[in-house]
Amino acid sequence: MSATRRLRLLLVPAGLFVLAIYAWPTLLLLRNAFNEVGPTGALVAAWSLKTAADTFADGFTFELTWNSIWLSLVATAIALALAYPLSLFLFRTTSRWRGVLAVIAILPMLISGVVRVFGWLAILGDRGLVNGLLQWLGLISAPLKLVFNWTGVTIGLAESIMPYMILALLAGFGQLDRTLEEASRSLGASPFRTFLRVTLPLSLPAIVLAAGLGFVLSMSAYITPKLLGGGRVFVLATEIFEQATTNTNWPAAAVLALYTLVLLLVLLAFSNLLARRLRR
Amino acid sequence: MPTRRLILKTGLATIAMPAVLRAQGLSGQITLQSYSGIFQDNYTKAVIEPFIAANPGVKVNFVPGGTSAQMVGTIRAQKADPQIDVSIMDVTTSSIGNLEGLFEKLTPAEFPVLDELLPEARKAGGEFGPAVTFDHLVLVYDAALTPPLAKLADLWRPDLKGQIALSAPPNIQGLALTAMVEKMEGGDYRKSIDAAMKKLRELAPSVNTFEPNPDGYSLILNGVVKVATGWNARSQLYGDQSNGKIRTLLPPEGSVFQINTINLSAGSKNRAAAAAFVRHALSQPAQKAFTERMFYAPTNAKAQIDAKAVARTAAAPESRSTMIPLDWNDILKVRDQWNNRWRREVIAAAR
Repeated sequence: MSATRRLRLLLVPAGLFVLAIYAWPTLLLLRNAFNEVGPTGALVAAWSLKTAADTFADGFTFELTWNSIWLSLVATAIALALAYPLSLFLFRTTSRWRGVLAVIAILPMLISGVVRVFGWLAILGDRGLVNGLLQWLGLISAPLKLVFNWTGVTIGLAESIMPYMILALLAGFGQLDRTLEEASRSLGASPFRTFLRVTLPLSLPAIVLAAGLGFVLSMSAYITPKLLGGGRVFVLATEIFEQATTNTNWPAAAVLALYTLVLLLVLLAFSNLLARRLRR
Repeated sequence: MPTRRLILKTGLATIAMPAVLRAQGLSGQITLQSYSGIFQDNYTKAVIEPFIAANPGVKVNFVPGGTSAQMVGTIRAQKADPQIDVSIMDVTTSSIGNLEGLFEKLTPAEFPVLDELLPEARKAGGEFGPAVTFDHLVLVYDAALTPPLAKLADLWRPDLKGQIALSAPPNIQGLALTAMVEKMEGGDYRKSIDAAMKKLRELAPSVNTFEPNPDGYSLILNGVVKVATGWNARSQLYGDQSNGKIRTLLPPEGSVFQINTINLSAGSKNRAAAAAFVRHALSQPAQKAFTERMFYAPTNAKAQIDAKAVARTAAAPESRSTMIPLDWNDILKVRDQWNNRWRREVIAAAR
């Protein structure tokens, strides 16, 4: 057996695992997408495109798509703005506390999403930390509406994806060559100009990687929009859940799930293409 | 070496075994699926434990099933190999299970207790599992609210701006509220819900959340909102448990019954014990015990319920007289349409 073949054998366990937990359920999902529901919600086994046609004929599906994309873009942008300087600091620092700081940065990943969301409710609620502080300082007379709307969902989502983006940025900073920055400084460029002309371009592949990951995670996020949205925030993930578990409309849920999957695959392919071009 | 006589004896013993076991009483285990939390706690005490005491050979596993729609989804997924024997869920979803062949039809010959039930309890399930509890939609409010809530129309009070938690459709509370508001506005939900939509649109800016999590009662108890929609039985119990911190109002403008049916899974692995449990759950003692413990109205007409408990249920004469005759099968047909109108006309006005 050649070395390449032996190497490929390493893929077998993970391949089988993915086949069992991902490919098979996706096929079942595909089968379900062809079923229909009767007028009172009963599932009707069929090989029909009616559910898909109804779903895409409904303008609400595109409203959901836009909501999901917009929310993901904004949350990713906020998370990136916070994660990038933090990651750069963690990458550069020589402090003996570097390890501890890195763990603190990704600590939210270790806490359940539901617990984190309830934490945000305590912080952003009408009687929460932020409103309490602003009222105590006399800056506002009535509480600001920070939860059960898009604002709350965007803040919660940005926080939840940030640790993943920090990890992606740290992994992608490999191309950041300190000597190039030193060369720029020695040629008279200011620190800001060095950052703009050297550091930032070199870290673009890492940014694209992290942004792609953050975007995908935001698009598929369910808990944050569900619990912080107060029933006002409609995105693809919440609609899939609603169709499956409240309306018992599994075919509609399957169609929407497959649609989201295709959407994410296209976006991921685009992100990978961009990252590859930037690396050249 | 086995003789012909030994083989014959063994064969006869095998054939006779089920009858012998039946004569000795029920055995094995059954799985009951229903709501978690206070429903599970109280149902276990009032109904399951007495059943086990009467049938010591049977073990009853209570599986919290989430919402009714999640429960029917679980049974649907297990159709080829049912793991759930009995389910208690909302009639809007059990009717889906009935249509899909997930549940068995029940006959008075095998379930004589069916003849003791109220006609509307039998009608709820048709030939399938009948109603096991009745409840109705109420307004739940903070006892400290002044002036206290007196009617449905009070939801539009200016002092309640930002203090209301409503469960919007497709949650059945939202569907029931739509019919109630339509009636309050002089309309009839069977003809149109335009008046309800107009009125609810005016209410939208006052709504804190259209999706109370974990529920409206908790949001009031935690001071997040002052008023929420809720179910009578739970709000009565939460009122008692919180020493009167929350109060329950049956709106004088009218309310809507919520019906839970009890359903025997088709292909139950321990059908005899499951059927016995269904008979027990519908029996007079079980209905009395559960009503007096959790204020769900009984469906067994012969159950002798304490008058004080009855007064706090949907079975109280004053409650029954204000109920809007709502056919949940009709609502299922318009659910998507109502849901879309809520999203586009009501929730959109609250953004």
